[in-house]
Amino acid sequence: MVQIYPGTSQVAQNRRNFTNPEYELEKLREISDEDVVKILGHKAPGEEYKSVHPPLDEMDEPDDSVRELVAPIDGAKAGDRIRYIQFVDSMYFAPAQPFLRARSYLSRFRGIDTGTLSGRQVVEARERDLEKLSKTLLETEYFDTARTGIRGAGVHGHSLRLDENGLMFDMLRRQVFNKETGKVEMVKDQVGRELDEPVVLGEPLDEETLRAKTTIYRIDGEAYKDDVDAVKVCQRIHVSRSFGAFNPVTGW
Amino acid sequence: MDIEIFPHRVLGSDTTEKLLNDLESLEDVKRTVIQGPRFPKGEATLPPKYQERRVINVNGENVVLQVKTARIFLELTMESTIKEIEEICEKHIPFGFDINQDRSNYIRKQKTVTDRIKYGDADIPDELVGMTDQYSTFDDHVNIIKKDD
Repeated sequence: MVQIYPGTSQVAQNRRNFTNPEYELEKLREISDEDVVKILGHKAPGEEYKSVHPPLDEMDEPDDSVRELVAPIDGAKAGDRIRYIQFVDSMYFAPAQPFLRARSYLSRFRGIDTGTLSGRQVVEARERDLEKLSKTLLETEYFDTARTGIRGAGVHGHSLRLDENGLMFDMLRRQVFNKETGKVEMVKDQVGRELDEPVVLGEPLDEETLRAKTTIYRIDGEAYKDDVDAVKVCQRIHVSRSFGAFNPVTGW
Repeated sequence: MDIEIFPHRVLGSDTTEKLLNDLESLEDVKRTVIQGPRFPKGEATLPPKYQERRVINVNGENVVLQVKTARIFLELTMESTIKEIEEICEKHIPFGFDINQDRSNYIRKQKTVTDRIKYGDADIPDELVGMTDQYSTFDDHVNIIKKDD
């Protein structure tokens, strides 16, 4: 059995689910391909992909055994530009969080580069592959319309108190709550440029579902210290790292 | 004495209105300050379905909200009022709140240099000291609400 993450709590199980590429994530909403392109804001919907190099088939590449072993991803084959999507996860029981995102992205997607910061998580890939993976990230459990933000710039807010309706603070007000429908709508793209038509993301998940789906240990949810197995593994790693190759009995 | 009400979420206009109406109906509450993040500049240009800001009515007086309610400071005279305030908060704030009394002053009581620069030598009544944000005009931020008596 592949050992992905230790622990017996629900949070640990959720972390395992995200990181295990065999586990099929639950699909929570439907967002069309065109809407994904609009949210990303890298090109207009329907526009051709711009390229930075000719398609690989037309390029005269040197012989290399690794090139033969690794099949290029679609975007690389066509010579697409590299583009990004960036998410911000609220500390208040968001379904995913930056480090987990990094681990799970790397086990689920090919040809990506991901960067982890305390409050945000960026993932870069060739444009057409990015669109595909963005769709997965937006439609499945990774995303909650209120607690997760799609923010290329102006990311501040993951640790701030939520609004009364459950939305995370967003200084550019990209995701706004529609009082009439009770759904969250995206009125700007990820870097804050106005969209002609809002993209309807859907209703926010309720508090109970979020607490069941979250991958964040919290003292007012499931506390990390209560997950004895997870703490034990963490301590073991800490001790073995600290000792390195040193043997306290025999010395160096 | 002053107290601070710290809701666990930032309150919208509707809840603020209900909460303030009930708080203002208490005889013992002398002054109230709402503190929090300012509403964004473009708020008025948004379609009404997205707007959060509106004019609220507190004890018959129209109050133009400038900020979202993240904290409420209250000036009281008796400690026994806190119990009533707690009951009011429990009614209107379902997601939890704290009532803090650690500091003796949450609302500033002394005049400062900024007050002097702003208002000159004018005699400011004591109850208006500390009521305004020093970076904005007085009229924008202070509403005088008459009690029913």
